[in-house]
Amino acid sequence: MMNFLRQTYIWLDERLQLRDLVDFLGKKYVPVHRHSVWYYFGGVSLFLFLVQVVTGILLLLYYKGSEELAFESIQFIMSRVQFGWLIRSIHSWAANLFILAALIHMFSVFFEKAYRKPRELTWVTGMLMLFVGFGFGFSGYLLPWNELAFFATKVGTDIAGVVPVIGKPLLEFLRGGPEVTGATLSRFFGFHVAVFPGIFTILLGIHLLLVQRQGMSEPLGLEKNPSLEQKRMPFFPNFLLRDLLLWLMVLNLLAILAVFFPWELGQKADPFAPAPAGIKPEWYFMFMFQTLKLLPAHVLFVDGEVLGISLFGLAGILWLLVPFWDRRSARGEQNRFVNYLGLFATLYIILFTILGYLS
Amino acid sequence: MIRRLVLMVLFTAVPLPGQDHVDQCLQCHQTLEDEPSTLFIRDIHRLRGITCAGCHGGDPRAEEMEDAMNKQTGFLGVPKGDEITGRCVKCHSDQERMKSYGSNGRTDQELLLRQSVHGRLSVSGKERLVQCTTCHNAHGIVSVKDKRSPVHPLNVTATCASCHGNPAYMRNYNPALPVDQLPKYRTSVHGRRNARGDTRVAECASCHGSHDIRSAHDVKSSVYPTNLPATCASCHSDSVRMKPYGIPTNQYESFAESVHGIALLEKHDPGAPACNDCHGNHGAAPPGVQSVSQVCGTCHALNADLFSRSPHKRAFDQRNLPECETCHGNHSIVAVTDRLIGSEPPAVCAQCHSPTEYPAGYTAAMSMRAIIDSLVTLEEQARALVEEAEQKGMEVSEQRFALRSVRQARLESRTTIHAFDKAKLQEVAAKGIAAARDIHVQAQEAIDEYYFRRIGLGVSTLIITLLVIGLYLYIKKIESNGQQR
Repeated sequence: MMNFLRQTYIWLDERLQLRDLVDFLGKKYVPVHRHSVWYYFGGVSLFLFLVQVVTGILLLLYYKGSEELAFESIQFIMSRVQFGWLIRSIHSWAANLFILAALIHMFSVFFEKAYRKPRELTWVTGMLMLFVGFGFGFSGYLLPWNELAFFATKVGTDIAGVVPVIGKPLLEFLRGGPEVTGATLSRFFGFHVAVFPGIFTILLGIHLLLVQRQGMSEPLGLEKNPSLEQKRMPFFPNFLLRDLLLWLMVLNLLAILAVFFPWELGQKADPFAPAPAGIKPEWYFMFMFQTLKLLPAHVLFVDGEVLGISLFGLAGILWLLVPFWDRRSARGEQNRFVNYLGLFATLYIILFTILGYLS
Repeated sequence: MIRRLVLMVLFTAVPLPGQDHVDQCLQCHQTLEDEPSTLFIRDIHRLRGITCAGCHGGDPRAEEMEDAMNKQTGFLGVPKGDEITGRCVKCHSDQERMKSYGSNGRTDQELLLRQSVHGRLSVSGKERLVQCTTCHNAHGIVSVKDKRSPVHPLNVTATCASCHGNPAYMRNYNPALPVDQLPKYRTSVHGRRNARGDTRVAECASCHGSHDIRSAHDVKSSVYPTNLPATCASCHSDSVRMKPYGIPTNQYESFAESVHGIALLEKHDPGAPACNDCHGNHGAAPPGVQSVSQVCGTCHALNADLFSRSPHKRAFDQRNLPECETCHGNHSIVAVTDRLIGSEPPAVCAQCHSPTEYPAGYTAAMSMRAIIDSLVTLEEQARALVEEAEQKGMEVSEQRFALRSVRQARLESRTTIHAFDKAKLQEVAAKGIAAARDIHVQAQEAIDEYYFRRIGLGVSTLIITLLVIGLYLYIKKIESNGQQR
């Protein structure tokens, strides 16, 4: 067996020069320090994305993206397809855990200032992936075509319609018309299984390439003080095995969640029915939804919703461009303003999410 | 002619109580022998001292017509449109003034009229449809209790019918409204007694009200479906009033407790039957023994159809038994349960089919009950299993939906009972029994799947845990071998 594997490797190496890659991986090290634990969230996000891809492809075998059949096809998956319930529940749970892991990964990178030169593009591609991840969540939420998803999409796209200047065309583009209909479902399905995966794969490729090329960023303190003894761990196999260990635990967590808390399907959407009480968006949009709810109708002469959307848009752009305006971190100096900004954003998101669920 | 003139002089030349002068208007108009003045002689207003000027203005003392009918001194002339009612309410809405004429009656007639369907409707948009004079006349008004009054109980139906029986006139206001109320009324028990001079029986105003008449579709109307039983009961629950007629007075109480009464009075379902749906409204009369099933059949069409083709139809007719009523009762019909069929009380079959006299019917009743019981039991078991699977978080919406077909079969079997044919009942129940068995199997599979998932999770968790431990130990091993720097 070992002989066969060796022969295969030699065969491939003669054609692809794998030795260079193996040498590169063999010399790759991961810094070990008290913040090393945050490194694993990138890997967990990647694992959950892969779970999404696999379960998503399996769901595609039975899912039908039309107004008449979407709900029934999910019902069929849940009740008749062998292990369909497991695949669907894991897909839904993994989607949420992916956003959570990606957010933790993003904030850890932010607080560690790991976005600083030379990793600006790694940060930008990561942030863009997070935005696409939100797009995955928003489009995927509608696909079962149930009551809650229908009205949450109506509210969500209504908010998009408030965006200054491009609001109305954006709303019609998203919905495929003035209202949420089967046309909306068709294009959300298209975004979810073709457009977003394509964009995400390109971004992920660049992101992973950059991470491998540049290695893991070290915290500012360690980098600044060379007298401190720096521990390192080989990426291959030590860090990869630890990643694998964590992935196995996450896989088990997904199975537990799928068995004990199967993702509910609810009632089929009825566009003519009144909106049910307590329509709420997915938890990761809750802080924005709650902010827009609490904003007064008018702030000075500006429409409250327009102001809210504009501020979130501006904040998102500033966040995306942090490596380019945080010059102090780029010079290897501490930047307390960025720390406080990050702390404010974290507390704001947590507080308004809780408020959203309590109200 | 001479007699009339003498009477006129006698009536008009002498001032009436409350009058300190002779009514010159009346005196002159009487010489003209016009209808208003002729009628006004017996008018209740004149008898209470009100002169023509009370409504028309002017000076009733003036001897010259120019002075008496001078607009400068307040002559109003003949009122038109809403002005007519306006003249009446000047006194009739003034409690003090009415007391001064010895009346302690109501003074809100104009308000009620304004709110009524007659007050709201208008063709021209300028005046209301009905003025006081439309029903009470203008001159020659007498007390409502006076048999000459057009609104006296014996006359009011004709007064109402003068408009409501005129299709050409009614077309202006409500072309869909029937115009045969009076002929129907004359066929009713109320109408026949009224025609014989009985003033205690219901006439138009008894049910519809007088000044406050509202459309039957108006929820405030006394004949709106949910208000109608109380309207009927206002007389029919009055034991003193009903005593001369020798009929019971507990219909309202019985009806209120019945399945129909609960739907109408508690659930406020205007589609539920009220008194008039079985007895008729204008032609109200108790349905005859042989027509009961036709009356019930207007709503319960299938049941009535099956019954009329069943062997029971002939047997009931021969024994002069009221059809539906024999088993279900009349005013106090309660919600039907399957216990109504069978051999033991509260089943009604044994009332006629005793095991000794009619053993075939008795046995048939028992077997039909057994068929229904087996369907009910299977449905309950299937429903319980579906609920259990649902509680366990399993997807059983299809089975939940399929339960409807079992329920449908149960309802159909209840209807089919009215054919009193065991084979037919078996055929209908079989569909439900088969569906219930299928659901039972599928729900049980869902529950088994629930336990399978937990066992599967346990096994996979064990495997993953072992892998994690193995991996952990391997990592420790390679790290302790000095690979970590």
